[in-house]
Amino acid sequence: MLIPHPLLGLRDSQEFTYLGDASLMNRPDPSAVTAEADFCDYVFLRDNPAGVHRELWFHEQGDRSWLIVTRNTLTHEILGAELARDLPARGAK
Amino acid sequence: MTDLIPLTALGAVDARTARFGALTLTEDDSLGLASLTLRKGQAAPTPFGLTLPEVGAMTTSGPYGAFWTGANQWMIIGAGQGTGDFAALVHAEAPNASITEQTDGFAAFHITSAAGPDLIPALMAKLVNLPPAAYAPGHATRTGLEHMTVFVLRPSDTQISVIGMRSYAASLWHAISVAAARLEHVPV
Repeated sequence: MLIPHPLLGLRDSQEFTYLGDASLMNRPDPSAVTAEADFCDYVFLRDNPAGVHRELWFHEQGDRSWLIVTRNTLTHEILGAELARDLPARGAK
Repeated sequence: MTDLIPLTALGAVDARTARFGALTLTEDDSLGLASLTLRKGQAAPTPFGLTLPEVGAMTTSGPYGAFWTGANQWMIIGAGQGTGDFAALVHAEAPNASITEQTDGFAAFHITSAAGPDLIPALMAKLVNLPPAAYAPGHATRTGLEHMTVFVLRPSDTQISVIGMRSYAASLWHAISVAAARLEHVPV
């Protein structure tokens, strides 16, 4: 599987490590009244979509950037990759 | 005071070298390395007169060189600077950037071809899963080599350098030398 790194071009997915759903970038507000329930959801609950999924990949054996890779979980087709730092902090979805 | 004898990354007093046909593999025990990272909003300095290279590129100037390792981050290399305080030299050249000594964390191996540039991609095809453009002359990149993280530098068309973690220098030497030995009798 090849991942189209926005800076370095196509790279072997073995150079990357996978973290999970890109919505992890949207950390709940710890000072909110509902913070405990929000963090419970944030830490423990994940969607498991069949189809297009946005997920965080770390280019560990590369430039050590975080990417948001759009992948189809049914076909494993990689639809795109962007640098996580280019996205607004709460705009990962 | 006790007289201590410095050992190379491969554990010997002298740097190792081996020939495989037209390919020569050399351990470089005197390469100084320091990482240079820009802080937020800083303009890129020009240490030793080097213009810090773009993504995936390297540049050299005399004994010094620089290659891109990440966003706003480069490795500065100095041939023959492995025994002194190389980070202090780089810091004097770029006082505002963040400089970290890297010399003793890494082991460097140079591979030179006496039979023209074609042998270099033939060797790398056995070692790394990268398109040849990623290690064309003037390029440098980081990748995995037999599950080890390495920097691959191509200073000229007949030379390629592999810089890996010092703790697995022997495994890296083994991987490169096995691949080079398989090319020993390939006609060029």
